[in-house]
Amino acid sequence: MERIIAVDISGRHRHNSRYLMVCAAVSLSIAGGHVKQIHDVNIKPFVSDTPPEVVDVVQMIERTVEGMVGVTIVAEKGDLFNQSEWLSNSMFTASFKYPESLSERMGIEIAHHISLSSRNLLLDSRSWEPIKDNL
Amino acid sequence: MKDVILVQRRIPRCSESENQRKLAELRELARAGNYNVVQEVIQTRYPDRQYQIGKGKAEEVAELALSQKPAKIIFYNPLSVTQVYNLSEMCKCEVIDKFQLILEIFASRATTRRSRMQVELARLEYELPRARKIVSLLKMEERPGFMGLGGYEDSYEQDVKKRISRIKKELSTGQRDSESLRGYRHSEGFSLLSLAGYTNAGKSTLFRTLVDENVEVENMLFTTLSPTTRYLNINGRWTLLTDTVGFIEDLPHFLVDAFRSTLEDVFRADIILLVVDISEPVDIIRKKLAVSHEIFWEQLEKATIITAINKADRLFPEELSSRLKSIAYLAPNPVVVSAKTGEGLDELKDIIHSHLPEWKRFTLELPMSGESMSAVSWLFEEGIVHSVNYGHNIVMDVEARNEVYRKAKSLEKRLSFR
Ligand SMILES: Nc1nc2c(ncn2[C@@H]2O[C@H](COP(=O)(O)OP(=O)(O)OP(=O)(O)O)[C@@H](O)[C@H]2O)c(=O)[nH]1
Ligand SMILES: [Mg+2]
Repeated sequence: MERIIAVDISGRHRHNSRYLMVCAAVSLSIAGGHVKQIHDVNIKPFVSDTPPEVVDVVQMIERTVEGMVGVTIVAEKGDLFNQSEWLSNSMFTASFKYPESLSERMGIEIAHHISLSSRNLLLDSRSWEPIKDNL
Repeated sequence: MKDVILVQRRIPRCSESENQRKLAELRELARAGNYNVVQEVIQTRYPDRQYQIGKGKAEEVAELALSQKPAKIIFYNPLSVTQVYNLSEMCKCEVIDKFQLILEIFASRATTRRSRMQVELARLEYELPRARKIVSLLKMEERPGFMGLGGYEDSYEQDVKKRISRIKKELSTGQRDSESLRGYRHSEGFSLLSLAGYTNAGKSTLFRTLVDENVEVENMLFTTLSPTTRYLNINGRWTLLTDTVGFIEDLPHFLVDAFRSTLEDVFRADIILLVVDISEPVDIIRKKLAVSHEIFWEQLEKATIITAINKADRLFPEELSSRLKSIAYLAPNPVVVSAKTGEGLDELKDIIHSHLPEWKRFTLELPMSGESMSAVSWLFEEGIVHSVNYGHNIVMDVEARNEVYRKAKSLEKRLSFR
């Protein structure tokens, strides 16, 4: 069994002249081609006036995974501007890699769903539904 | 097996190990295409427009061809129409390149009508840009039989185009294969096992070793399905085992769909046996495994992957266990085997058995209604229907996978509460 932190960032496009991004990190155990257990989830929203650069992406990820248990951070190559793996790895204080196995990809998919839906939730003010009419 | 000569033009200043690897890959492909390599010719130089290799080297190949009489000469480097024409004129022998070899392999392994069409499509797309050139070359040489054909030049290219669009149309109408194994499996209740992995990993050897133990039983009980699919008894349960085309490195774009279609059976399987050659260098193993996972990620529905760590007989135990450790994260459900010596096959069968989808036999009672009738035909497709009685209610005796059982039971509950 192996413990990784899968990360995904949503919202790296301009939205009303700003960049509203949500980074989700999921600490999970993988084995036998499956995700065995999810231990922990962190979500952090970030805002910027300029498009994020590689160093910003690294920063966002490191701040989101802070305090989580896991050996290696795994994120999609596209999230790090397709730069080579050794270069990305050297920019992180923790160890970092791109996904290779099915289970690592599953982990990132989970992180992706989390970052996407939390961003949608944050952006849409109407998402606060009253339970009772008088609220 | 037919004899072939392999030719590789190496790019100056390209690394020796890279060159070796490429030649080894061509050798493996030739073997997969059922050819026997009698000679290998290598030259390091920039490409020649007329012959790909230098003219002097080409003459050398021609002499070899004269003495060895191979069925084909296969180039690692992609050949232009002019080069193919010049080389085959000089060598008096059929000359093809790596892509055409791959197409041949796909064509020989395409099992379904759809996959055969995909392969034909890839072949035509390969040929299209060459069609006009071929005809003009033939005309230039005034080869008998072509000049007299009048409008042939245009019509050949047109013909290729027409065939392409006809196949595309037929493929897009999306008629799924009725001859496919899936339908067969469901009517008979077999689970499907597929071998997968890179070329030369030992899939076919493992296939034969597994199936051989069964041969007599098979001949008595069953008819043969296809050369690449056999019945296999796994600790008492009958399954269908399918051998497949190996994954090939650096496939060009126009071959990708054809390749995928030859893998249709793999993606429909309940269990995939991912075969790995553990005797290769570790970084190559890791790269190949990562690509396999990527292919599965894009295509797979819900099959279980079992990693058959093959050719264990080639390594010392210490070396083997250190390698296993370094690839563990890419090797789900690993079992160490040797298709050659038979080592580990019992363990492999045990682990396959433990992952076979569970089947249940149950009775189902549904009220007479349209919805029930479609449930009946759904169950005929998904499981084995031992009996159906149409009385006041429909009463069925069915055997099916666990998930089918659960769906059927919840439907029974819902319909009876109406
Ligand atoms: N030493 C050793 N050699 C093996 C073993 N299994 C297969 N081989 C050899 O490996 C070579 C390739 O085996 P195949 O079974 O044809 O490989 P494949 O995966 O079917 O290859 P493709 O059909 O080209 O995709 C053959 O020369 C086999 O004899 C094994 O367990 N040990
Ligand atoms: Mg084979």
